Amino acid sequence: MGCKILVVAEHEGGAVRDITWELLGLAHAVAPQGGWGAADIKAVLPGQGIGAVAAAIAGRGAAEVLLVEAPELQDYACDGYDRAIEAVVKAEQPEILLFGHTPNGWDVAPLVAAGLGVPLATECSQIAREDGRWLFSRKAFNGKFIQVLDLGKARPLVATVQKGAAGPFAGTTAGQVRAVTPALGVLKARFVETKKGEAGGVDLTQAPVIVAGGRGVGAADKFEIIKSLAAALGGQVGASRPVTDMGWLPHQHQVGSSGVTVNPKLYIACGISGAIQHIVGMKGSGYIVAINKDAEAPIFGVADVGVVGDLFEIVPALTKAVKEARGQ
Amino acid sequence: MKGLVLIKQVPNTDSPFRINSAGTWVDESNLTYVLNDYDRYALEALLRLKDAGAMTEVVALTAGPERASQALRTCLATGADRAIHIKDDALTAAAPLVVARAICAAIKGEAFDLIACGLQADDDNHMQIGGAVARLLDRPCASAAMSLELRDGGTARVERELENNRLQVVDLKLPAVITVQTGINEPRYASLKGIMAAKKKEIRTVTLADLGMGADAIGADGYRTVRLTPPPKGKGAEMLQGPADQVARELLKRIREKTGVI
Ligand SMILES: Cc1cc2nc3c(=O)[nH]c(=O)nc-3n(C[C@H](O)[C@H](O)[C@H](O)COP(=O)(O)OP(=O)(O)OC[C@H]3O[C@@H](n4cnc5c(N)ncnc54)[C@H](O)[C@@H]3O)c2cc1C
Ligand SMILES: Nc1ncnc2c1ncn2[C@@H]1O[C@H](COP(=O)(O)O)[C@@H](O)[C@H]1O
Repeated sequence: MGCKILVVAEHEGGAVRDITWELLGLAHAVAPQGGWGAADIKAVLPGQGIGAVAAAIAGRGAAEVLLVEAPELQDYACDGYDRAIEAVVKAEQPEILLFGHTPNGWDVAPLVAAGLGVPLATECSQIAREDGRWLFSRKAFNGKFIQVLDLGKARPLVATVQKGAAGPFAGTTAGQVRAVTPALGVLKARFVETKKGEAGGVDLTQAPVIVAGGRGVGAADKFEIIKSLAAALGGQVGASRPVTDMGWLPHQHQVGSSGVTVNPKLYIACGISGAIQHIVGMKGSGYIVAINKDAEAPIFGVADVGVVGDLFEIVPALTKAVKEARGQ
Repeated sequence: MKGLVLIKQVPNTDSPFRINSAGTWVDESNLTYVLNDYDRYALEALLRLKDAGAMTEVVALTAGPERASQALRTCLATGADRAIHIKDDALTAAAPLVVARAICAAIKGEAFDLIACGLQADDDNHMQIGGAVARLLDRPCASAAMSLELRDGGTARVERELENNRLQVVDLKLPAVITVQTGINEPRYASLKGIMAAKKKEIRTVTLADLGMGADAIGADGYRTVRLTPPPKGKGAEMLQGPADQVARELLKRIREKTGVI
């Protein structure tokens, strides 16, 4: 028994979540570097009444799916999932343990790693072997730098993997499903429900143009210049998270992983650094303009055109030019 | 009830970041430091419980170098009752698990009903100290809390932020740990009176050696940052330069050609 790479599978509403296929894709891509093959890659799947989910994963990437079913695991709760995964890891002794960097993945991974007494690399974009060691690349300083980590001698090497770090596994496997029933102990966290956050009056998803402001705008009243440009272009106002956290704009204006995902024809980012959680929400926009006083800001990595400068000079000048062009 | 807030002093996100000469972290010489933004929200969450009479004491703890005591002073001035400083320069390079172990050792013998920390530190972005501390203490933990409510029967009800504007509601049996997402509340600022009062409040200082963690506690397992590099450039934007009016005209031209919105 045992395996080399163990992937923590995620599911919701009876379906496999996409991150699972990506984790399996990554596992298959890096396995050869460790001298391992498809037979060395397994998945652990906690839940309840999810035999079909297990079968799907066994057919697409996992040589074996360790299925942990219990009524307490019906929905995600930290300690039940944590104990289930930890028990399977102890039995399988993998070299590498992979979680998705998803709300449930980042919730449970630190518990499992600390329970096993091993370090953890979070939000990894790459895993590669260098000079005989596995190295984990992850972002630091909200994306301003990439940190390459050596997790050291302890095993397993545990990581949470950023969405999109690897393509989904596209092949087929003839894997097995094996039910395991570890003791979960006394659980201290209880899932209650999943619900929608508050809704609001603006719908950014339909806007052809979004002019978004970030912390760099500096204050609620200074948003007038952002609003003027949006109005001149016939568009809506978007924002990064700090802007809505500080109440400069209502929450519904927030673009990003915990806000809305938008894909307007034109997205103008003003005073936004370009943290990954913001970028995932706007990178699908048709044409991206970034205005930032820091030439190194990560936002320029996704922009089509960038201006290094003070938004308080550039934005009003652009508003003026747009108005003139439109004869306003 | 007693509450503990774990805090970190981090470089101001507006700092001019440069990679250090060893290529392993940022050059710390040009940086100014502040209390980690997420931790301000975590502190506020506990102070609100104290204001409501549900908590008798709020303690702030950090593990970090000498300068980090300034962030503890900020917490004391904002309303925390006392502070604990695990002071050791080596902690900067330590694995989060080692930091979590030191934190647990420093609070041994104290019974905190609720430990709050930030969802992430704005420098290393590890997102794991809270969970690690919870597991080492055998307590339940909820990350990315967007609301917190104490309920009868010794539970805390927490709404965890998920993606796409969804929330997961979970009940934690106390004692418990939460990691706080920004926006959960509106953090207060220290008042002048608070700043004066903070001068008389206690900061207990301990070293790693005091906690029985020897020199080999850090790095002996081979955990280290191999290198810090700039991020990949992506597709690379076309960069415009010049006076604002000229740049605006250039932008307008491209917007017209590429988007058709004008
Ligand atoms: C789980 C999780 C979910 C998150 N969800 C989201 C989300 O949905 N959306 C989101 O946006 N963030 C989200 N975040 C937060 C994210 O990590 C960043 O903290 C945030 O995006 C930073 O916002 P910002 O770019 O406005 O601020 P900062 O990073 O502080 O950047 C401000 C920028 O303004 C520039 N600037 C300052 N003054 C000027 C000026 N006068 N002219 C031009 N430029 C100037 C600076 O150079 C800097 O680049 C999330 C984080 C986590 C951990
Ligand atoms: N050195 C430290 N001392 C005390 N608390 C810390 C320390 N590092 C991180 N934390 C806490 O853990 C949270 C998450 O940090 P991190 O896991 O480093 O992203 C922070 O917001 C703090 O609340």
